[in-house]
Amino acid sequence: MRNLFAFIYRFRAFLVFVLLEVLCVYLIVRYNTYQGAAFFNSANKYVGQVLEYQSSVSDYFRLSSINNSLARENAALRKELMQYRDLEVSDSTAVLDTTFYAATDSSHAAPYVLHASRVINNSVRRMNNYLTLDVGTADGVKPGMGVIAASGVVGRIKTVSRGYATVTSVLHSQMLVSAKIKKDNTFGTVKWTGGDYRTAMLDYIPLHVNPAAGDTIVTSGFNTVYPEGIMVGTISAVEKEQDKSFYTIKVKLAVDFAQLSYVYVVENTTMYEREDLEQQAGILTDEQ
Amino acid sequence: MSNSFGIKNIVQFILFVALQILLLDNLVLFGTGFCFIYVAFLLFLPLGINRVWLLVLGFATGFTVDMFYDTVGIHAAASVLLAFLRPHVLNLLTPRDGYDSSDSVNIHVMGWRWFLVYSFSLIVFHHAAVFFLETINFQTALYTLGKILFSTFFTGILIVILQLLFFSPKRARIDYR
Repeated sequence: MRNLFAFIYRFRAFLVFVLLEVLCVYLIVRYNTYQGAAFFNSANKYVGQVLEYQSSVSDYFRLSSINNSLARENAALRKELMQYRDLEVSDSTAVLDTTFYAATDSSHAAPYVLHASRVINNSVRRMNNYLTLDVGTADGVKPGMGVIAASGVVGRIKTVSRGYATVTSVLHSQMLVSAKIKKDNTFGTVKWTGGDYRTAMLDYIPLHVNPAAGDTIVTSGFNTVYPEGIMVGTISAVEKEQDKSFYTIKVKLAVDFAQLSYVYVVENTTMYEREDLEQQAGILTDEQ
Repeated sequence: MSNSFGIKNIVQFILFVALQILLLDNLVLFGTGFCFIYVAFLLFLPLGINRVWLLVLGFATGFTVDMFYDTVGIHAAASVLLAFLRPHVLNLLTPRDGYDSSDSVNIHVMGWRWFLVYSFSLIVFHHAAVFFLETINFQTALYTLGKILFSTFFTGILIVILQLLFFSPKRARIDYR
């Protein structure tokens, strides 16, 4: 027994080293999974406070560009609102006799709720990029919700604390976004492969369709994360490689991730009902 | 020899980690040159520090950075590796008549050659661990190797600059009482 203790004492540095490395590998495997819940990340209260303070300083240097982008978004929204007003004025269905016309169910019309939020931490140059937002469970944000900006898809909520949330950005090696080509509704998967943060790949577009550079890619709405038709990007290059049954398509992402300041968390009020149903039916929805 | 872990080291820890997460997080050269200046804290620790204590410090430092980078475990693993290798590298680089009691990790005291070999060899190991743990796969090995090399030079040069700016050429005074 004494020899054993002497042995352990002699190699204590090496043993502690092995122990700590095993702990690290366990942490990496346990917490760096795509949808794993974690405590030790930037949604942590104290870490979040430091990051919030940092961004409150650095945001001052970008105030004018943030204002510009918000004003532009306001203009676009006003324009859309005006179109609806015009439609409403010329639309006469509301005064029709209800025997001929069934009023639409309003819960089906708008199952999406948006929570506005500020980006307090952001990265674009690592292999797996995350954002931190200043909204949390107190604002109704839950893991798995989608995140969009005015110009397009941003990512998906990974973990939430009371006041902060971390987002798996589209710029993450394991993030997949179910998307489609807008002009002919062919659906595929958008995936970022590292390197340039403005370019991603669109996979699984079969060879019989004819995608062209400049085509718009939007979300498909086939999962519960994003509403249908949210901008993802535009095709920048199409390549037909031999002995491959799908096109190799490069997509220029609509969102400039280096400039993100305000985003919206998308809450889908029908999400749990739909996911429950799909799970009961045995359709395993793959991670999208 | 100032072998004890003192106030100076605690201040260095706070300074280097703050520098890392507040400033250098946003500074990436050409998409490949990353700077992990917080390793300077581990490199500048006293020469004769206890090995187990050094490993624990390495883990704590890496873990703190991980929390801010959302990469739980990656920087911790790399820093523990650095902490484990440090005494061995120091052994290899022992001057002809052993380390003096007034020696410390200081470019003026130990000389350019000693310092460059010491810091760059440890930084290479640390950065290789970080970037390979980050990607896991070896498909993009060439890109990762480029990142490792470029980042090592970036971090190394910054550490040399820190040494030249803030470390005095005088040897630590020994108290003969």
